[in-house]
Amino acid sequence: MARMKHVDREEGRAYWMMVLPAFLIYLLVMAFPIILSAVLSVSDYSGGKMFGGERWGFAGFGQYARVFADPFFWNAFKNNMYVVLISVFGQLPLGFIFAYIIYRRLVKWPDFWQTVLYVPNIISIIVVGLLWQTIFSPNGPIGEIMNNMYRHDFQEQLRAILGPASGFTVTDSMVRRILELAGPAGASQFGDPFPELKSLILSFGTSGPDGYQQLVDGLTNLFVQKWSPQFLNKPDVAMLPVLFVILWMYTGMYLILFLANMQKIDTQIIESARIDGAREGQVMRYIILPSLSGTVVNSAILAISGSLSSFALIFAMTGGGPSRVTEIISIYMYNNAFLGRPNFALANAIALITVAISFLLIMLTKALEKRFGGKEE
Amino acid sequence: MSEELKTGFLARAGVALAKALAYTIMIVFTVMTLYPIVWLIINSFKTTQEFQVSQLGFPKEPTFQNYTLAWEFGDFGKLFPNSLIYTIGATAGIIVLSLLAGFAFAKIKSRATKPIYASFVIGILLTVNTLMIPLFLEMTLLGLYDTRLAVLLVYIGAGLPTGVYLATEFIKGIPTALVESARIDGAGFFRIFWKIILPMAAPVATTLAILNITGIWNEFALINILVSKTELKSLPLGIFKFSGSLSTDYGKQFAALTIGMAPMLIFYMVFRKQITKGVAAGAVKG
Repeated sequence: MARMKHVDREEGRAYWMMVLPAFLIYLLVMAFPIILSAVLSVSDYSGGKMFGGERWGFAGFGQYARVFADPFFWNAFKNNMYVVLISVFGQLPLGFIFAYIIYRRLVKWPDFWQTVLYVPNIISIIVVGLLWQTIFSPNGPIGEIMNNMYRHDFQEQLRAILGPASGFTVTDSMVRRILELAGPAGASQFGDPFPELKSLILSFGTSGPDGYQQLVDGLTNLFVQKWSPQFLNKPDVAMLPVLFVILWMYTGMYLILFLANMQKIDTQIIESARIDGAREGQVMRYIILPSLSGTVVNSAILAISGSLSSFALIFAMTGGGPSRVTEIISIYMYNNAFLGRPNFALANAIALITVAISFLLIMLTKALEKRFGGKEE
Repeated sequence: MSEELKTGFLARAGVALAKALAYTIMIVFTVMTLYPIVWLIINSFKTTQEFQVSQLGFPKEPTFQNYTLAWEFGDFGKLFPNSLIYTIGATAGIIVLSLLAGFAFAKIKSRATKPIYASFVIGILLTVNTLMIPLFLEMTLLGLYDTRLAVLLVYIGAGLPTGVYLATEFIKGIPTALVESARIDGAGFFRIFWKIILPMAAPVATTLAILNITGIWNEFALINILVSKTELKSLPLGIFKFSGSLSTDYGKQFAALTIGMAPMLIFYMVFRKQITKGVAAGAVKG
């Protein structure tokens, strides 16, 4: 009896020595901040020393009312929802298609595609954000690609009007058609378009292929406006590149998830179904999709919780701008805490609202699991 | 007979078409995935002046100058060791603490297990980024703002929910008889952990290492609010210096981004098999 007690005590001591280090750090990093943020969100604390500094105390639930009345909060919330939607209806289906193609061996070198498509996940989010910021900027390569295409197109049409380089003569109808090609923007560069353009063309001296090429280049430079891409600095479209990059970055992760779970399906089931005359579509419909329903639910939940926690990509790519249109909740919270006059009470109210959304999500998970049965693993 | 031949031909034509479509899809998306990265690396060898004239194409006279300038301006000589300390320290902490707690939860009976384990599982979906403001205030309150300890504690705490969950579920699969017979032979729990559990838990430890090494090396949101001294900053914070007003000094920025990208790309190339496996195993929601 006494020995049993001794064993029990040793067991208990070992248990707590193993559990407590992890549990205390977990409490420090996850639980205590939630309590702190609950306290501060109903206070008038405004920074500085928390104890022994300026006095602060209870100030009511006004910050919550302020958050819910703030259109910028709802804008950020809406953007979070866009991130969820692009994940669920963009990344998941694309990831599924890639995984299916690799799994059913429609392409060779399965490892190669999987490895390459996962690469964006491995790169620092800050690098990804700054890289795409440059790509979408007015000085980025998209502008040059589009301008090259447009110039090329314009020169083709111009050559069609001018005819071959040999035996080239300037006629009135030719000048008129070039004016038409240039459009009103081109014509507006002249005071009196027709005679001025005609004398300009004649001044090139169209002798030989060199002169001809100079004429083509000169007219192209004159009439083709350099287009500079405006994506991230236009409030009405700025969210689109952000969503594109999110799609670019994380689709590979869902490819990995789907493929790993497809590979758990017993291949004999598929083979014998094929021998029994099942078509590929039927294999997909009756074998592959049902065994992945758990993974789909799982992935959707990861997408939602991922959207609530995402911060760095948008922080680096747009900083929430222009004029705050690309803010998501985490950036909205950060800006309220650290930009301008810090409002820690408000920021903590936002933190707590996000935590509440997370808890709702966890309950939703449990409900979905009951409904669809947790078949995955 | 001829009917059969015909359907055989149609089926083969269908397969060929499906394969062509599959290759098209895979090639298009592979190019889309890799092109921006390759473009970045190529342009990091151009001067900013050359880049402004031509954003496509190869550099006329490749220059390495961007790299030396970016390395100096970004203080990468200081940030690299910091990133290593945070990544290795926090990953090791997560693995050890998760396995210890996992062993206790899985193999030692206690009434405390149910609520404590459940609280860890809830934490899997409760992402720490949400708590960055209270965490900043808490660390300031504790006098830990601008210390390595704060960064390590937060990273370990953030990694524990998934770590404890995976470790517990894995150790549950180790036969209890092994633990019990060692107990009868008089071994203490820490000895059993060291001699039996740790060697057998290598697969789950690998998964945790993979998940946390990539995650912590690239982490930005939390360390951004925990430290402000250059001596304590990690690589992603250094790279972020090349944004804003400096973002038009393209040559330097591209070099900095390439420097930031390289270590993980190399890590990925070496461990890609383990990484993709680990990601699939670690995508849990509790």
